[in-house]
Parts: sequence; C-alpha cells; structure tokens
Amino acid sequence: MIDVANAPTVTRPQIRIEGAVKSFAGRVVVDIDELVLGDSPIEGLIGPNGAGKTTLMRMIMHSAKLDRGKVTLRRGPEEDVEEVVLSDLPTHRMAGLGVVKSNQVIMDFEKLTIWDSLLLSLAAAKYEHPHRIFSEAPLFEAHAEEAREYLDFFSFADPTGFAQSAGEKKLLDIVRCLLLKPRFLLLDEPTAGLPDELTEKVMEAIRRLASEGTSVVIVEHDLNVIWSISDEVHFMAEGNIILRGPPQTIRENRTVVEKYLGEGHV
Amino acid sequence: MRRTRKRVPCSEGWVLFDWDRQLMDLFSDSLVIGLTQHAPLILAAMGFALIYRLSGLINVAYSETITLGAYIGMWINTTFDLNFYAILLPTGILSGLISVATYLAIFRPAKMRNVGVLEMIIISFGLSIFLRHGLQFVFGYPLRFYDVPLPDTIWVLGVGVSSFRLLALASVVALALLLYWFIQRSGFGLQIRALASDEDLAQVSGIRPLFVTVLIWFIAGAAGGLAGAFYGVGTAVAPLLGWRQFLFIFLVVMVGGVRNIGGVIIVGAVAGVALAAMTLQFGQALYAQLVLIVGFVLILKVRGRRLTEAAKV
Amino acid sequence: MNLDWLDAFLLFGTFQVVMVIGLALLLHLQLGLARIANFGVVGFWAIGAYAFGVLFTKVDWSIGEPWPFLISMLFGTVVAGLAGLLVGWLIADLEIEGVLVGTLGFATVVAILVTTERGLTGGALGMGGLSFPFDIGKTKANELLWFGILFVVVGAIFYYVWRVHRSPYGRLLIAVGDNEPLARSLGKPTFQTKLWLFAIGSAGMGLLGAINGVMVHLLIPEGIGINVTLAAIVGLVLGGTARVWGAVLGVILTVGFFDIVVQSYLPLPRSWYTQAIPVLREMVFGAALIIVLLVRPFGILGDMRRDKLIRSTHRD
Repeated sequence: MIDVANAPTVTRPQIRIEGAVKSFAGRVVVDIDELVLGDSPIEGLIGPNGAGKTTLMRMIMHSAKLDRGKVTLRRGPEEDVEEVVLSDLPTHRMAGLGVVKSNQVIMDFEKLTIWDSLLLSLAAAKYEHPHRIFSEAPLFEAHAEEAREYLDFFSFADPTGFAQSAGEKKLLDIVRCLLLKPRFLLLDEPTAGLPDELTEKVMEAIRRLASEGTSVVIVEHDLNVIWSISDEVHFMAEGNIILRGPPQTIRENRTVVEKYLGEGHV
Repeated sequence: MRRTRKRVPCSEGWVLFDWDRQLMDLFSDSLVIGLTQHAPLILAAMGFALIYRLSGLINVAYSETITLGAYIGMWINTTFDLNFYAILLPTGILSGLISVATYLAIFRPAKMRNVGVLEMIIISFGLSIFLRHGLQFVFGYPLRFYDVPLPDTIWVLGVGVSSFRLLALASVVALALLLYWFIQRSGFGLQIRALASDEDLAQVSGIRPLFVTVLIWFIAGAAGGLAGAFYGVGTAVAPLLGWRQFLFIFLVVMVGGVRNIGGVIIVGAVAGVALAAMTLQFGQALYAQLVLIVGFVLILKVRGRRLTEAAKV
Repeated sequence: MNLDWLDAFLLFGTFQVVMVIGLALLLHLQLGLARIANFGVVGFWAIGAYAFGVLFTKVDWSIGEPWPFLISMLFGTVVAGLAGLLVGWLIADLEIEGVLVGTLGFATVVAILVTTERGLTGGALGMGGLSFPFDIGKTKANELLWFGILFVVVGAIFYYVWRVHRSPYGRLLIAVGDNEPLARSLGKPTFQTKLWLFAIGSAGMGLLGAINGVMVHLLIPEGIGINVTLAAIVGLVLGGTARVWGAVLGVILTVGFFDIVVQSYLPLPRSWYTQAIPVLREMVFGAALIIVLLVRPFGILGDMRRDKLIRSTHRD
C-alpha cells in the first residue's frame, strides 16, 4: 500500500465518463456527456429515484455494459498520469486497480463467516492458487491485525459466526470494500439499514480513507449524511448531472431541489 | 436406412455437374431421411422445453417419459392387438398421467421445500436413473418390438422411405402444430405463458397455478410419450431409448431458445437433417452425433458469453 | 505371502469403493464448494484411462520398466487435465444448464471416440494389455499391492481436499459457488478459478481412471457409462456435498454396501449377481438421490460449518 502521507505529489485518482449512454428496454436511463469524478476527496451523488444513480455506478464498475461511451480511470502523479479504460475491462480487474463499489442491495456469502469474508477480501491472488494449501497461516499472519482493527472498530457481535441481521450484512459489505484498500471507492447507499451509531462509524472510516488520498463517491438518500460528509455534490436527474457544487450551494438551490426532493429534506 | 440410388459415374468433363448433382442428392436424401427419422426429436424437444420454460426445471427424467411412452405403446399394441395409430391416444394419455404423477410426487414437493436449482437437477437425474433401471429390471435386456405390419416403401424426392416413418412425420408435424397453436394462440396458452413469466402476478390475475402446471406436465408427458412410441416403432424398444436421445433433445432446446417454441421446432428439424447429412457423408452415425454435440455446445458458449455480459449483477 | 484369507471379490469391491471415494472427493471440490454441476465425471475418468492405455500399449518403448508405465500414467493424467481445461473453458461462464449440457456432452463425445477410433482404443472389443508395472508373484498379491498404491493416491487426494478447506483457495471456491458476482467484485478472477478447478479435478479423475484401468486390465466402452458418474454423485450427496468426510461416508454406505456387503457377504443365488443386482444397485442409487435431497438436502453430515472451522483453525 502506498504511504499517502509521504507521497504528496500523488494526485487523487479520477474517473472520467465520456459520452456514456445506457438504456434498458428502449428507455434511456443514463446519458452523460462528460463527467469527472474525484476532483474532491468525497463527492455526493444525489437525485430522485430513477435518476440513474445506481446505473451510473454500475456502468463505472462495468457491471452494466455501456451502450456507447467510455469510462476512464486516471491515476498517478501529475507529471505521469496513467489512464486505464475501465469500460474495456472485465469486472474482476476493477478491484486490482483500486476501483471498488459497495452494493446497494444486500450481497453476502451465506456460507462464509465474517472472518472468512474479511480474509477473502484481504487475500491477494498469490495466496489463492490451487497449490497453495498451506497459505492460510501466512495470510492470517500478514493480515489478521488489520482485520481485527475493523472488527473491533465496528464491534461485530460474533466475527467467527455468520452475519445475521440485514444491517450486519450491509456493514460487512462495506468492510469488505474497505479492506480492498480502494483508491477510488463508490458507495451505493451505504447507510441504508444501518443503525445511527454505525452510520457514524462508517462515515468516520470513509473520512479517514479520503484523507489518505482515496477518492470517494457516495450515493445516498439520507441527505443529512450527504451535506455533512461531501466536499462536493452532484445532482442527477433524468440520466444526467444537472447541477454540481459545494453542498451548501446545492442545498440552497431551492428551485431544483424542491422540485425533486421536496421542502422536508432541505 | 440405406441410400437407394446409384451415384452418377464420375468422368473428367462432368466433374462439376457431378459434384453439384451429388450435393443435391445429399441434400434431398438428408432432408427426407433426417426429417422422417428424427421427427420424434422435435416432438420430444417441444415437451421438454415446455417444462423448462414453465418452471426452469431441467428434467433429466424426461428421457424416461419418452422410454415409458415407447413401452406403453408397445404394451398396448401387443396386448390388445391394436394397430399403431389406435394406440397413440391411450399412449399419450398414459404418458401424460405418469408425467403428472412424477410432478406431484417429486418435483412439486421439492419445490415446496425450496430445493435449489442444482439439487433439482440431481433429483431429476436420480429419478431418471431409477426409472430407467426399473424398466430394465422389469423388461430385462432383450430389445422389444412393436407388432406392426411390414411398411410399404414410398419414394420421396428419390429416396425410399417406409410408409410408416412418413406417417410418423405427418403425425409429428400435426402434433407439433397443435402444440404450437395451443401454447402460442389459445387461451390456455396465454395462462401458461403468464405463469411462466411471473407466478405471483399470474396468481393475482386469477390463473390457477396448480391446474396450469399440471396441464403443462400432462402435455409435455404426452408429447414425450408419443415421441417414444414413434422412436419405438421406428426401431426397437429398450430401457436406454430415451436416454440416448436426451442430450440431443436438451441441446436442441438450449440452442432453439426456451422463449419460443418455434425456435425449438426449427432447430430440431435442422438437427435432424444435419445428423442425416453427416451420417451419409461420414458413413458413421457416431461421427455425425459428435459433430452435432460439439457444434451446438460451441454455439451455446458463444451465445452464453454474450448473455452474461448483458446480465452481470 | 499367503493370501488365501483374501477373497478376490472383496479385494475388487474395496478397490472400487476407494476409487469412487477419490472421484467423489474431487467432485466435492467442484459440486460441493464451487457449485459446478459436473455430470461428466466419467468422461474425464475414461479419457485418463484410455490416454494411458494408448500410450502404454501402442508405443514401441525402448526404455525399460517402470518408465513406460510411469510416463503413460503421467500422460493420462495430463490429457485428462487438458480435457478439463477445455471443458472448463466451454462452461465456466455459462449458466447451470450450459454446464450440464457441456459436461454430459463431453462424456458422450469421449464414449463416441472410444467406440469409433478402433485403431487406438480397440473399439467395442476393448483394449487389453494393461498390466501392473511389477510382478511380485500371484495375481492376488499384485492386486493387493496395486490396491495399496490406489489407497495412497486417494489418501493424498483426501489430504489435499482437507487442506483446501483450510486454505484461502478453499475460501475462494466457496465464495465463487456462493455468490459469483460478489466474488468478482472483490477482484477474484472467477472464470480462471473455475477453469483451473476443472483442470485439476479432471486430472485427478483421469489418474484414477488410469489406475482403475490397470486393475481391470481391459478397457471397454460399456465400462464408461453414466453409472461411474452416478456412483460418485450418489455417494457425495448421501454423505453431504459440502463436507470432506461426506464423500468418504457416502461412498462407503452406497458403493460399499453393494460392492462389498452384497457382493461378498450376502448369501444370494449366484445368478442374481450378473443380472438383478447391478440393475437394483442403480435403482437404489437413483432413489437415494431423490430421497436424500428431499428429506435431508445437505446429506448425512449436513452443511459445511465454516464457523466451527474458523474457530478451530484461528484459535486465539
């Protein structure tokens, strides 16, 4: 892992979306001319239901195929920016590039315990080759400390057991993402279904990650979370980003916000 | 079935003509042989596709529905001394009833217990094995035959075909069309298609799932049983009769597309003709089967990749 | 060595049981952990046996024993592994229907080639000339030694599978079988994982096929029917698809019952053994699959218990 504190020349990774179109059954869900994510450490993505937020995220992860357009990851120091076209890559290559997304709906391994899930996330490919039947101990030695930190921080009830509640599964999903040491983290409604104190902790972990140089994009319905954590907010409607700016500006842009979100949310 | 026509002798100046002529011969031969010999395949594939489409179940035991149909037909034919066409109706009904019985006794309880897709396949595999060896146990190893008069030879496109297989083809076509009409056009068909796409919604709209499902298993069973009777009368009856066809039925349904019965019919016909053509060409039925299996699996591979691309979570 | 106490049927039956345990253990990795429905076990098993046999009997070896034998064994294993790689490539990104049709199709293709390629395989007449790489006296003694070798091989397979459960690789396999899209999103190359799983499993099945071929001396097309696949599946399902010991327990209870208890210890009329018993055996196996999956879907030993495993391996 790169020691971010000692590498000030490293700029934040950015994701550039160009001419990206996706439609389902003839209906255009996302149609974005150009969008750069990752200018600010933490960016919020809000908008009414059906605006295409989740689809946009899935397009970035290439888990939804683009009808046309291109998604590029830009990373590395300013003088030597490396560009990778994400929309050409298979999904499993994303995590290796540091692009990681948490899931909106609950996704879990029913047969794996919480410890298993964390170790799975932490295990590099070299531990997982078919002939490496003795690599559990080295893996555990190398990463147990890290896993324990997260287990303690989020105070899982029984980490050797299975994730029980929906909230615990959701949290586990996020922890799995965090353990992948993302350079660009997409969070799709990370706090839905989480109790308040855990939401706080998740946000704390995300802030810490962002301060270490990771770009974070959050889709969230709980606008209080968005206003408090984001450095910049994108407002999406009808498949396009129609407004972007600091939270305060978006929040005060009453005409647009009221139209979509109603008085109560502001 | 043998080639019955002499080849045009080959001479220098006539090579091209001869080659064309041979190709035409091969084509007409395979068309006639393929369609008459493999007509039951189309019928069986339609039945298999019905169950698959309705419940997503890959019913390996469908091969034994076919075998049972062949045995039932033979039993009625030899016991009551009925002519072949008189046995079709009772054979269809009995096969349909057995098919429904397997649904009610095994697949429905399994579904109620939320058995997984993989486990469901293994269950049907177990049932297939059980029935196949049950038949073996009861009837033993010797091949059995229908008691039917020696068929006349009728010449179609210069190929001699037994009247029997031609009538079988005609019956298969009629049954296939009837089935097609029933699924795609009739009121019942509408209910079936509704149930296949969304069970809850169908239930709300007043469709009785159990009734429609039982009906489907009955129709599929009848189609399979009749296919078995046609297979049986064409050659001989043995416990492995259905299992030998299963892979081809399965492939035809997968390649033809579960969504439309028409695709299954077309691919079934193409498979039959291709098998006949390759058998004539290679002089070896097994090579024909080999090429067909490999070809169809490759088609699935190429298409499957495209489908998963679009449907990744 | 006096081996009068050893009944030839008993030895042969035990050999079959241990061999099927090996197959079921390998199938367990595919079906139980990664949830890939391999219905073509017999295809890989047979291709290993025939590849071994062809190289061993058709080549004019100029080097002395045991090298031709060992090289042929290795060849059979590698050919089966390559076949696994090919089949894996065909099916690894298909839905369960595609996996079923692909593996069944492969087994059928092998059966067809064995029948048609008479020059190599002897066709329907069979391929003889497979003999033990040693001669320590009586047939029974040779067979007993060969059984010992099989036992060691299957023991090694068992140890490997047992270790896989306790290694990151096993965790990956379970994750792939449990929720493939999620595993992929965590950066796991699920396609390659399945591909290599197929290659390794098939290589092992091929080796077992070759070992079995030497024991029976004659390879015939009737010997490579679906019943080999069935034996492995029924044992695994009865014992518990997701458990290491499931394969061992299940195969002993199924194949062991018929090939050892019924074969050697029940006082049944001789004629039953050639006609009724083999057919009844398959009927019982088929019925067992249905009943177990309806009544106790995870088999006798139940579902895998990662929580227990984690607690015992990472006790601290």
